[in-house]
Amino acid sequence: MIAVCAKSQGLDALVEERFGRAQYFVLFNEDNSEVAFIDNAAKHESGGAGGMAVRLLHDAQVDVVLVPELGPKAMDAIKAFEIKVYRYVDKKTVKETIEDYQNGLLKRLDDSTATSKSGLRRV
Amino acid sequence: MSIKEIAIVSGKGGTGKTSLIASMIPYFENLVMADCDVDAPDLNILLPETNVFEKDFVGLQRPAIDENLCTHCNLCVDHCHFHAISEGPEINLSKCEGCGVCEFVCPAKAITMQDYRVGKIFNSVTEFGEMVRARLIPGEETSGKLVAQVRSLALDIAKQKGRDWILIDGSPGIACNVISSLTGVQKAIVVIEPTVSGLHDLAKIHQLISSFSIEILIVINKADLSQEGLSSIEKYCSDNQLPIVLRIPFRRSMVEAIVNKCLPSLYDPDFFKEIGFEDFIGIVKS
Amino acid sequence: MKKIAVLSGKGGTGKTTLATNLFITMGKGVLIDADVEEPNSHLFLKPNIQDTKVVKKKYPNVDQEKCNLCGACGDFCRYNAILPAKNKVLVFKELCHDCGGCQLVCQQNAITYKERAIGKISTGQLSNGLTMHYGDLTVGEVSGVPIIEQLHRMVEKEDWVWIDSPPGTSCTTVAALEGVDFALIVAEPTPFGLSDMKMVVELLEERNIDMAVVVNKAGLGDQELHDFCATKRIDVLAEIPFQKDYAAHYASGELLSVQFPEYKKIMEQILDRLLKKVGN
Repeated sequence: MIAVCAKSQGLDALVEERFGRAQYFVLFNEDNSEVAFIDNAAKHESGGAGGMAVRLLHDAQVDVVLVPELGPKAMDAIKAFEIKVYRYVDKKTVKETIEDYQNGLLKRLDDSTATSKSGLRRV
Repeated sequence: MSIKEIAIVSGKGGTGKTSLIASMIPYFENLVMADCDVDAPDLNILLPETNVFEKDFVGLQRPAIDENLCTHCNLCVDHCHFHAISEGPEINLSKCEGCGVCEFVCPAKAITMQDYRVGKIFNSVTEFGEMVRARLIPGEETSGKLVAQVRSLALDIAKQKGRDWILIDGSPGIACNVISSLTGVQKAIVVIEPTVSGLHDLAKIHQLISSFSIEILIVINKADLSQEGLSSIEKYCSDNQLPIVLRIPFRRSMVEAIVNKCLPSLYDPDFFKEIGFEDFIGIVKS
Repeated sequence: MKKIAVLSGKGGTGKTTLATNLFITMGKGVLIDADVEEPNSHLFLKPNIQDTKVVKKKYPNVDQEKCNLCGACGDFCRYNAILPAKNKVLVFKELCHDCGGCQLVCQQNAITYKERAIGKISTGQLSNGLTMHYGDLTVGEVSGVPIIEQLHRMVEKEDWVWIDSPPGTSCTTVAALEGVDFALIVAEPTPFGLSDMKMVVELLEERNIDMAVVVNKAGLGDQELHDFCATKRIDVLAEIPFQKDYAAHYASGELLSVQFPEYKKIMEQILDRLLKKVGN
């Protein structure tokens, strides 16, 4: 299952500029092309939205997530839940971004992009 | 096009942050304003509002004790790390951080965590666009969360109305509410005064903002207050590659504008022309 | 013991200037700078720092051997500070409020606590022998309340304590007001100044703390603030006129009461009226 940070609920939605406080996650099942979405409950948290969002994705059996950026806490959480994470740069639709992913155009985020000691600290 | 969010912040308060944002407002046509200075929400003083809607803001939950069930064992008192419950038991809500430990340890199930209104969020329409602002009950915390909700509502309105810009009047300081004002914005404008404390505060807020990938623009207010102070700020900015995009000298008309509840740039347009305000707006929008 | 808090609805009204100058003019007691996000008093008082203490806060440490990943800690934590994942439990220590809940709910006794620094308190002596303490919150930390509580504990035995409080009316201001006998509100006579002051008055009224107002930068604004004080029966102890000279000296980190005799006179007047209100 692929999840994409999105501003609204379907494949035509625009992708979000943040992860933990994304409005929605659009879910795409690669096996049967089914589309669903999660209303991201973490977006209203005062702190720790990233970690909580990762937990929501895990509960929805997501194994790949496409993000615009990832704070260090969310990165730690993503790794601990063994979810693969890829970064998009362009502000396209969810559908186009998934195609970019499938065509191998998105960069996989690894340790060098964020450590728990620097970078975003969400509250 | 995607909505651009710009935050105006300052290390300490009183540097003219709200006056600056108020002066910027007339230069933006497709605008939503988000007043995230929840400790001192003042933008609406200068902008008459219509269609004001308000909704309650619920922070973390707070405990309520059912006197009929309480056995006065005081386990809750012993376990509260915030000294928010004294023997009785009696809850001091201003110290409570809403953790829920008292509810968990209570053997009589006399304590339940309940939603608790700690403030209000308002949205309205002004001559220059929609405005979202908030007010906490004095002494309440969780302003970080409140700021997040103000921004989220501003974003919803901007999407609905097809607005391009959100100007955020950020909270002063460096703690949770400021961080919430900054996450995910495209640019941060730091308003600073050329004083010994101004430099000290600039260094702190710079350190905070540089942990995000946000473009920083520096505005020096009351720039002619102290040559010494100005030089030290200029040196700090050039050493750290921070662009100073506007210098505003001290002018009585700035205060007069506020006293007369006017937007400063409309009150004394000649002064704003003199200081190159339009160029500044150009940089902000670029 | 008397504790006097100097506070203001918004920053930049002259709170630190008033607190430091009253402290110097009085020539006794101790000053604590509880504006731990932006401590500035020391820039004017220029103490010779003799001691710096690290302020610590606890956070959970999970023994992954004992942990059976039941998830109870993550379900309990309302701050998202502890996150049970696939093979281990993650702890985000900056988010932890140290409520102790995760340890209580853990059936495996897998949780103990470690300490981390969230800021520091510096103590120093002024050239005239007076002592001050100031707290400094580490950038990126969420709450300065533990530092302010520690500051209060450090001055428990003093006879007279001046508190330079954080601006506004948030949780840190409330922490600074702990045990305070009297509050001096510094306000500018502008619509912003009045609006912000009203929130402080509300906060003090709720806590039954006596208060008086010092109007700063008088002459720049309007009459509304005075009208409000009259209606509320809050005494205005003094009016400090706006002078560009003052602003310039402040900008270079100088104490106005040392530079300007007329300013010192205003400080003496405030002290005189304050002592009548709180006793000595």
